[in-house]
Amino acid sequence: MNPAVNRAVNPAKSKKVAANAVALVVALFFAFPTYWMVATALKPRKDMLTSEYDLLPLSVTGTNFATAWTKPGFLQSLGNSLVVTLLAVLAAVVVGLLAAVPLARMRFRGRKGFVMLMLVAQMAPFEALLIPVFLMMRDLDLLDKLPSLVLIYFAVTLPFCAWTLRGFVNGIPLELEEAAQVDGCSRWEAFRRVTLPLLGPGMVATSVFAFVTAWNEFLYALSLINDQSRQTLPVWLSGFQSQFGTDWGGAMAASALFTLPVLVFFLIVQRKMVIGVTAGAVKG
Amino acid sequence: MTAVDTTDAAVPTRGSSQAPRRAAPGGARRRRGSALDRALPYLLLAPAVIAILWMIGFPVLSVLATSFRKLNLRELTRGQVVWTGLDNYTQVLSDPEFWAISARTVVFTVLVVGSSVLAGLLLALLMRQISPVVRIVLQVSMLLAWAMPLLAATTVYQWIFDQQYGILNKTLVRLGFDGFAGFSWFSTGASTLAVIGLLIVWQAVPFLAFSLYAGAIGIPRDQYEAAGMDGASPWQTFRAVTWPELRPLLMMVTFLSLLWDFKVFAQIWAIRKGGPDGGSTTLAVYQYLEGISQSHFGVAAAVSVLMVLLLALLTFQYLRRLVRSQEGAL
Repeated sequence: MNPAVNRAVNPAKSKKVAANAVALVVALFFAFPTYWMVATALKPRKDMLTSEYDLLPLSVTGTNFATAWTKPGFLQSLGNSLVVTLLAVLAAVVVGLLAAVPLARMRFRGRKGFVMLMLVAQMAPFEALLIPVFLMMRDLDLLDKLPSLVLIYFAVTLPFCAWTLRGFVNGIPLELEEAAQVDGCSRWEAFRRVTLPLLGPGMVATSVFAFVTAWNEFLYALSLINDQSRQTLPVWLSGFQSQFGTDWGGAMAASALFTLPVLVFFLIVQRKMVIGVTAGAVKG
Repeated sequence: MTAVDTTDAAVPTRGSSQAPRRAAPGGARRRRGSALDRALPYLLLAPAVIAILWMIGFPVLSVLATSFRKLNLRELTRGQVVWTGLDNYTQVLSDPEFWAISARTVVFTVLVVGSSVLAGLLLALLMRQISPVVRIVLQVSMLLAWAMPLLAATTVYQWIFDQQYGILNKTLVRLGFDGFAGFSWFSTGASTLAVIGLLIVWQAVPFLAFSLYAGAIGIPRDQYEAAGMDGASPWQTFRAVTWPELRPLLMMVTFLSLLWDFKVFAQIWAIRKGGPDGGSTTLAVYQYLEGISQSHFGVAAAVSVLMVLLLALLTFQYLRRLVRSQEGAL
């Protein structure tokens, strides 16, 4: 694979080899932290804090995962994260779908204005609204209570869900619904039997992105919740040093467990990925 | 498992599928419909609109109002409303620390966005040149970086950059850079921000590369053939064909990145809480420290308003381009 030799033989080919080599090095750069997280999580504790150079684990163990799993607060915050995230996403997808259908399908006065509202709301800088939202939650007596996070994550993901689902509804030909109506279905039946099933994949993709947003959220989870038993997983993990000290194996195992659901979801919707994140940049 | 097989749709409006809806009949029928029919779209929109106005609209107004009030813990617990006009703003704007933090935030954001957009563009172009197997390997590894939750990523990076046992220092020593034995990456604000910046770029590039790659493969092939026949060099081809075609998309993802990276909080807080000695504090961290940690809500609200103004400017630029790119689709 010496480029100098190849160039003499076939410049186009050697160029391609070089491009592939560069791509592989870049791939290594992107994959390494994930590899290192898993490799460290599988390492026995005695191999952790050594000056040995150990890119490959010499022996493999599951004890780090057991340590992380049984750490005080891990399961509790995992549960909190799951409850908060799932409730918020469920609400955002349902309310978002309700809004997406008229925006995509119906004609009414002010439709364009509502579309713009969703678009602008999707860009709302939530991080910069920390102070008023904090004060609002205090007035509602929701500080230090999980419903505050459900409410906020619902509001953060809702415009995105409405906007993206509108795009997916647009993608389903109206003729299908009309054909069902000609066959004697009511409008609601036509929607339920024709459009809704076709919307399935789009709803899954939308929920996954909403899920990842809420699953990652840190600023509000940190600011609104003080009580340790109500922490979400990101906040719990941010204090890993107080949990694990220098037990990097345990910290990496906890990180891996935190990553797993997201990775699974990403693999499910990988085909729709860019569509989801650019939501706005996608034609509806 | 190609990660971007079907992502051409991310290219703004190339051909439109809007025609059927426009041509849809039924307007007449609906006009004759009952009052319920006419109210239906508004009823369906109501929950979302109420939620948005309550949870986004109201805070935007309230942050503005709060920024004109003196609101520390004392006023808050007593429920006092003390209007102080522009006092919070004069206090913030005459504080040299605020300007230092703002400058740091702007420089950090520009460097992070610049390097991630450039890297994303280069990778998008590279992806067109490589064999399918290598491309899938590259895409899967980028997917891994993209999918890792922020707080998992900050934890892993702290382990990689660990002073004593981190794999990076060990590797550097192995390569002959003995100075890195026991080197602390988090001893100064600049090097802390460099590590945080690397982490952000690492997680931002996959999205940028995938979007731009989707845009790049949407460029009609005959344009390249024409350039090839004219004997254009690769650089000339890039300037004449790729650049003008990708520019609108590139501008949009750049503005999106600016919006996202300007308000980064989690990574900075999780790694050193804005330290050492405030050396990696950005505006988002400053706002949190003033408002939540010290309960100076009025002052923090003034900082928030200044952030919102800047973000609104960027958002406006982004939305203008977005709306223009899909005229008719709204």
